[in-house]
Amino acid sequence: MNKFMMGLTVTAGLLSSVAHAEDAEANAFREAFLGGEASWEDVSARAESEGTVNLYYWGGSDPINIWMDQVVATDLAKLGVTLNPVRITGTKDAIDLVLAEMGSGKGLGEGSVDAIWLNGENFATLKRQDALFGAFADKMPNSDFIEWNAEDPRSLLNLRDFGVETGNAEVPWSGEQYVCAANTARVDRADLPSTFAELKAYLEANPGKFTYVKPPHYIGNTFVQAAIYAHNPDGTGAEPFQQSIDDLGAEEMARLITPGLEYLKSIEPLLLGGQSGNARYPEDNGALDGMFLNGEVDMACKFGLYAVATGLNNGTYPEGAEAFVFPEGNMIKNKNYLAIPANAPNPAAALVMANYMTSVEAQVSKLKYTGMPPGVDPWKLSEAEVTALTEASPGLIGVSQADLDANTAPDTNATLVDVIEATWLEYIERDSADDLSVIVSRAVDNLAK
Amino acid sequence: MARRKFKSALNSRLSGFQKIYLLLIAGFILGPFIPLLIQSFAFRWAWPDLLPGTWWLEQREKSLLPLAWDYVLSPYSRVWEATLNTVFIGLVVTVICLAICLPAARVLAREKFRGKSAFEFFLSMPLIVPEAAIGIALLMIFIRLGLAGSYTGIIIVHLIPTIPYMIRMLTAVYQGLGTDFEEQAMILGASRWQVMRMVTLPMLLPGVVAGALFTFLVSTNIFLLTFFMGQGKIITLPTLLFSKIAGGTLDASAAGITLVVTVPGIILLLITERFIKEEAFGKGFGN
Repeated sequence: MNKFMMGLTVTAGLLSSVAHAEDAEANAFREAFLGGEASWEDVSARAESEGTVNLYYWGGSDPINIWMDQVVATDLAKLGVTLNPVRITGTKDAIDLVLAEMGSGKGLGEGSVDAIWLNGENFATLKRQDALFGAFADKMPNSDFIEWNAEDPRSLLNLRDFGVETGNAEVPWSGEQYVCAANTARVDRADLPSTFAELKAYLEANPGKFTYVKPPHYIGNTFVQAAIYAHNPDGTGAEPFQQSIDDLGAEEMARLITPGLEYLKSIEPLLLGGQSGNARYPEDNGALDGMFLNGEVDMACKFGLYAVATGLNNGTYPEGAEAFVFPEGNMIKNKNYLAIPANAPNPAAALVMANYMTSVEAQVSKLKYTGMPPGVDPWKLSEAEVTALTEASPGLIGVSQADLDANTAPDTNATLVDVIEATWLEYIERDSADDLSVIVSRAVDNLAK
Repeated sequence: MARRKFKSALNSRLSGFQKIYLLLIAGFILGPFIPLLIQSFAFRWAWPDLLPGTWWLEQREKSLLPLAWDYVLSPYSRVWEATLNTVFIGLVVTVICLAICLPAARVLAREKFRGKSAFEFFLSMPLIVPEAAIGIALLMIFIRLGLAGSYTGIIIVHLIPTIPYMIRMLTAVYQGLGTDFEEQAMILGASRWQVMRMVTLPMLLPGVVAGALFTFLVSTNIFLLTFFMGQGKIITLPTLLFSKIAGGTLDASAAGITLVVTVPGIILLLITERFIKEEAFGKGFGN
């Protein structure tokens, strides 16, 4: 046994010294690419010699898994790169792996994660830990399909992820909007709420017929954020929530979010199970979908522009499901991205993969297979390309694109999301008797540690 | 054949109460499988319908992507890869575990040395310390050694919870065996190797088979340690199932995968059931 272990240690030592020899070369490649000295031919050639790209992504969806294996793997093989799609249960697992490997001294060319599908807090963590490859997103051939001009307000979601500057260290992959769906077999379309006040009135007439995903799940956080925007005492909606907590300050934050949280507390007895004093919040969108399908709730909200069409296509939504506009003017929109970590073992292959994912071809097939909306910007595409995307779309049911565009709101700054999440947990989940300003300042202090 | 035997046993030997008791137990064991089986063929199954409103076969032609069993049995579900990995890792773990535990059990059963009871306690430590604690600590070490995400890494961590079980089983077998037969063989001129090969091993075999079966089953069911060490790169049936049901819903393909996960264990039990009952527990422990 001892000999065996010694053998392993020696082998591992040998392997790591081999890896170190490659390390310098990978770093030189990184410098050359980010400095604009490497041509795309150089990248492609290096990608072919690297051979493989390890993409870590949430593997809980059959359609996405099929699309990865069937379409992406085939197309990347034509570019000389073998796709290794690693399915994970939570994006945080990949972040932890990157950070653990960096902590063990594994740098560029030596880790095991080449690219991650992520957004929000997970990206913010990588950025905070300085664990990103660098500003690659605007330096690929297909970067032309994305708006990088900071003066154009439409570029917001390409440059900021939950309010955190991306620094072009991640490339937009898909754009989503928070959309609510109702089962029209149970609710008349005329009775559907479009504001939070109407939602409360609906629940008073039909107690228990609604709930939202429980924070800290991001789908739950987003519902809380929308309620906070709508109840902003200054009437400025999402605007003040684009700053970081350091700029906003705990006191101001508490003032701004108090009405929204008080509203959420006031509807708690009217939510599913609330009549018996035990409001039920589903843990994730899967659980919420189940409640919606089973008719426990009449309405369900989640990120999913095409969620209704997709849900009808795979049987996870009830037959009468239709989307509707709620809350008016505050339907939060965000994007999700592909990031390359600082210790990617195959950085050039990761770039080739990211460039492929940004192509119109990949965006069209992704939309067709999985119902994930495009991450590229339509005004940067040719007419034929826009038509191809429109034709691939599973379609909107119950709302029009114009309705959705007219009611868009940006996501909340990632540092504020942490505070909102902690405040919700203490004020609503744990039913703290403390004043909201005390809870918020405590949350800010705890997060600063 | 088996059913007739079961029926006649049910009719002849058991009292009415015993029969009901037996049926209840069977119901508890098989009951959960029934909704699972139905779900695996469903397309849309909403409460309070007793059966799915839409079946998978009705939607099969209309769907762009494979649904339900089409997905489970397609390469996209990775069920086959996970099964091969699970069986391969289970077999290697069992063999290494035996190689470590056979000599150890012999010493523990027959020799007396200082600190033996403390050592025995130490051996069962992995059963007491939470898996998550071992897993995360080992992961940090294994990443440095380059073993994380490799088969070697997974096999090593699988040895941690299996060795204590195997040692306990084999120690009990050795204790029941006594040294008489081996001594007799030696008196008659057998070499140590011959004694080992022709006397000790055959007598140990039933216990060894029982221990090996148990080790294999434990190994094929380890989720957390496999999940840590495999880093998502090496998938086994438990990690595949977890990633499928972690979303909180059991759709048709998740139900199908759940059913597949139970198959290796059932096959193994069916093959060895007879052997274990008659040989291992009859001779190995009953002696």
